[in-house]
Amino acid sequence: MAEAKSLIKLKPKKFKTGESVKLSFMVMHPMETGMRKDKKTGQIVPADYINEVKFFFNDTPFTTIQVWESVSTNPVFTVDFKIPGAGTLKVVYKTSKGETFEQTKKVKPKG
Amino acid sequence: MQRRAFLQNIGLAAAAAAVVTPGSVWGAEAPKGPNAMGIDAALKAVTGGAKVTPSSKVHLKAPEIAENGAVVPVTVEVDSPMSADDYVKAIHVFATKNSNVRCADVMLTPMNGKAMFATRIKLGSTQDVLVVAETSKGEFLSAKQNVKVTIGGCG
Repeated sequence: MAEAKSLIKLKPKKFKTGESVKLSFMVMHPMETGMRKDKKTGQIVPADYINEVKFFFNDTPFTTIQVWESVSTNPVFTVDFKIPGAGTLKVVYKTSKGETFEQTKKVKPKG
Repeated sequence: MQRRAFLQNIGLAAAAAAVVTPGSVWGAEAPKGPNAMGIDAALKAVTGGAKVTPSSKVHLKAPEIAENGAVVPVTVEVDSPMSADDYVKAIHVFATKNSNVRCADVMLTPMNGKAMFATRIKLGSTQDVLVVAETSKGEFLSAKQNVKVTIGGCG
């Protein structure tokens, strides 16, 4: 599969150093469980799901999510994040097929 | 002959899977229900046999009735100062009647301002959603809520 579309969102958009924001990570991914049958062909659709999501800030890991099949299609993972200052957020995610993708976002606190 | 050998192989594989699955936590990519796990086994894998206490510190937000089992929003918040010596280490989300009851295991650090996690999960049928939070002191706190599902989300 080609690289899935993904997006990092911070809410609220304007924040200061030391404030808590909601950090959402969205991926466009089918999250196949490996148990679903294709209705046309009757074949079992092979499993393909995200099994690990890691959040980094300036290359320091701060949250790891181990994901299993029962998370919905096109998942959204939201955690809370205390802005330590300016820097780069990086999210690395792995799929059950062994692929690894990453997405980055610059963090610029105001004040 | 080929057919026979093929069938034998399948039989062997099935037998092997049946023997291995209950013990192994991470049962690779077998075609049918690869990570199938009961709630007891999953809890044991997470807590290592420690006692889990229901607590009012854990707030679980999930809909009482989910029209579509494929997308059930779940939000977990745990009351915790999230300081260096007292924080929530992990939040585990279980759907008690899914084939694989484990949904997500979130490992947090004090860099998270609040112990919060939200995602959307699939529920196969009407069931309890169980959340277990592990604190840095080694306590396991839980909360659960029943979610009625009108259309199942698995398969």
